[in-house]
Amino acid sequence: MSAGNPATMEEQPVLITFDDNGAITVGTIVSTSVLDMTNVAAFSEQVIDYCMGRPGIHLLLDFSNVTFLASSALTELLRIDAALKTIGGSVRLCSLVPDIRNVFEITNLNTLFVIHEDDTVEKARARFERSLAVAAEEDAWSSE
Amino acid sequence: MAKRFFVKEFPSTTPAVAEALTEALSSLSATGWISPEKTFSIRLCLEEALVNAVMHGNQNCPECLVRVEMFDEGEHCRITVQDEGEGFDVETLEMPDCTQLGGRGVCLIKEFMEDVRFNGSNNSLEMVFNRSTFSEACA
Repeated sequence: MSAGNPATMEEQPVLITFDDNGAITVGTIVSTSVLDMTNVAAFSEQVIDYCMGRPGIHLLLDFSNVTFLASSALTELLRIDAALKTIGGSVRLCSLVPDIRNVFEITNLNTLFVIHEDDTVEKARARFERSLAVAAEEDAWSSE
Repeated sequence: MAKRFFVKEFPSTTPAVAEALTEALSSLSATGWISPEKTFSIRLCLEEALVNAVMHGNQNCPECLVRVEMFDEGEHCRITVQDEGEGFDVETLEMPDCTQLGGRGVCLIKEFMEDVRFNGSNNSLEMVFNRSTFSEACA
């Protein structure tokens, strides 16, 4: 749906900030508590634009400020996931409020996305980093 | 007897949909059908229905209209979303698998609403929920 968007892509506020200090980049959704038809396209564009210049990026999306999410946001998360995979990266989610977590369960997308439930952002970041290290060790073993 | 308490007709544009959504939610809240703590699900259902009407029913044609009405039927609220499209079979829609980008809206509506159907006589999606579903009132 694009007819009469309230703002062009260029006019959309910054919806996500990135902290790439370490192996995991944390993307925190800011300036909005809602991801819906009015801003999901801009959200996706901002994430993909940031990530595509960083091959192998591992992104942890922090939803702690988000209280509502429409199915259009699920579509964009799938696009983000697919885009990161093309550059050898990955995306995980954390800090979902129960209502949003429920949506992922209803749609079975909790089987596709790793969702760090009940973890603080820092703990989720650490777990994500550890899982990558374990995967790298396993790859090294299997290639010997 | 059903009593209509909300009606809004609007063009198929994002700002118009956003405004209609806000007004519909306000009306549901003002009439006691939803409480502040339980707006997530009803907001989701309304947004999915309105966006589908615009995208699929009206094919993103800005001049095409969407009409939302809400009726008090005693213990139930009925919401109708009418567009200018051909309609679809609600019953056959299933939740897409994880490989599909879209198509989850109606399935989400079916998850939260007591009844969802397409009314072919007036080309509208009808959603029905019980008074206790999204409010603090006990059944």
